[in-house]
Amino acid sequence: MAAANCTVRIASPLRSYTAGASSVTADGATLHEILANLDRRFPGIRFRMIDEQDRIRPHMRLFVNTSEARALSESVRAGDTVHVICALSGG
Amino acid sequence: MSLSPAELARYHRHLVLDEIGVAGQQKLKIARVLVVGAGGLGSPAALYLAAAGIGTLGIVDCDRVEVSNLQRQVLFGTGDVARLKVEAARERLESLNPQIAVVAHAVELRAANVRAVLGDYDLVLDGTDQLSTRYLVNDACVIFGKPLVAAAIHRFEGQAMTYVPGRGPCYRCLFPEAPDGVVPNCAQAGVLGVLPGVLGAIQATEAIKLILGIGEPLIGRLLTYDALDMRFNEFPIERRRDCAVCGDRPTITEPQDSEESCGTASMETVRRLTAPDLKNLLDHATSAGALLLVDVREPREFNTGHLERAINIPINELARRLGEIPREASAVFICRSGGRSLAACAMAMRAGIREPAHLEGGLLAWASEVDPTLAIASVG
Repeated sequence: MAAANCTVRIASPLRSYTAGASSVTADGATLHEILANLDRRFPGIRFRMIDEQDRIRPHMRLFVNTSEARALSESVRAGDTVHVICALSGG
Repeated sequence: MSLSPAELARYHRHLVLDEIGVAGQQKLKIARVLVVGAGGLGSPAALYLAAAGIGTLGIVDCDRVEVSNLQRQVLFGTGDVARLKVEAARERLESLNPQIAVVAHAVELRAANVRAVLGDYDLVLDGTDQLSTRYLVNDACVIFGKPLVAAAIHRFEGQAMTYVPGRGPCYRCLFPEAPDGVVPNCAQAGVLGVLPGVLGAIQATEAIKLILGIGEPLIGRLLTYDALDMRFNEFPIERRRDCAVCGDRPTITEPQDSEESCGTASMETVRRLTAPDLKNLLDHATSAGALLLVDVREPREFNTGHLERAINIPINELARRLGEIPREASAVFICRSGGRSLAACAMAMRAGIREPAHLEGGLLAWASEVDPTLAIASVG
């Protein structure tokens, strides 16, 4: 599958990695590739979402458009939006 | 329970709505709603619930009003600074609507008192600013069978979701576990003052809909709001059959306290060094003692390969060995990939070590970007 260009919407607590950007673009045909691409440009951001066993952390949810991604092997198509959702604590 | 002439006049705009009418207003009058946290979310939620005629409105908070609250906590005025929040809230809400009863709970919600506090209420709104309380309230609502409207905020972003027993996922289905020592609260991260106004009003809307039995609640739908982009999104959330509290075989059957994970330490305030940053610091360190590299991996991993001059304090020994780190040293915590070192930073900050740093991406990043000859042991 060819590399895709998709939009990644960044959860507020992770925007310190993206210089405050709420939305960035990333290339990749799978979520794994998208996050690797993201991590090259914003070092450390992947580890905030994914643990050492490549599992999505329990306080994070990833969606491709409105479908939840449960594994990094899920494919991503050009034009998709990956939503990174993070538990928030503020009240 | 009938409505008095004064109530008929006050709630006229509700009464003319077919979806509410006299019968609906009577439902609101006999409803008992608890708002946990009289903060940014609780303020607008409580004001709207009081205005709507919720007959009994409970407010839980043990804090006092601070001047920095006033930028968003619209329940309070300048004259309320230093007063107990629940007392100031009761006065304000009873002034807004003398026909309701406001119950002040000046307590910190804990496992020991959550049953007594929640017991008298039909529905709970969670507007707390602590994750530990957020999980406690969720678990209690699941165990006691009470609907819960939860919301949370951070800087310019908010989330809301409604739980109704037997009808959808709970907060633990959404986020099974809190992060490790790493979620900043409003005081640390900042928050747009009007943001909780939007989310708190959504919570009040959900509560009123549930009481009236109208509309479509946010059950199984996570609503997110980005104030900067002025964008709402919603995401479907399913109940987890393995949820620890509402799953098929729950392991949490009584409310329990958990340690507050955010405290004063947060990922936002930890200094994050990339591998090239650390290389640069090491190259320019004026004395060997100024920069202290603390490798928090297990001795087996450390012995396979480590950075020159690094000392080894495994993460599970760190709490009792923090004294080995001189206060004047600039500590940089290191591990394999950056997870344990971040947790170490949080522990160090709680222990009073100033501005600890960690190597972002760990030694894997170091090997990738600085020194590919470094041998790195696998985990486990």
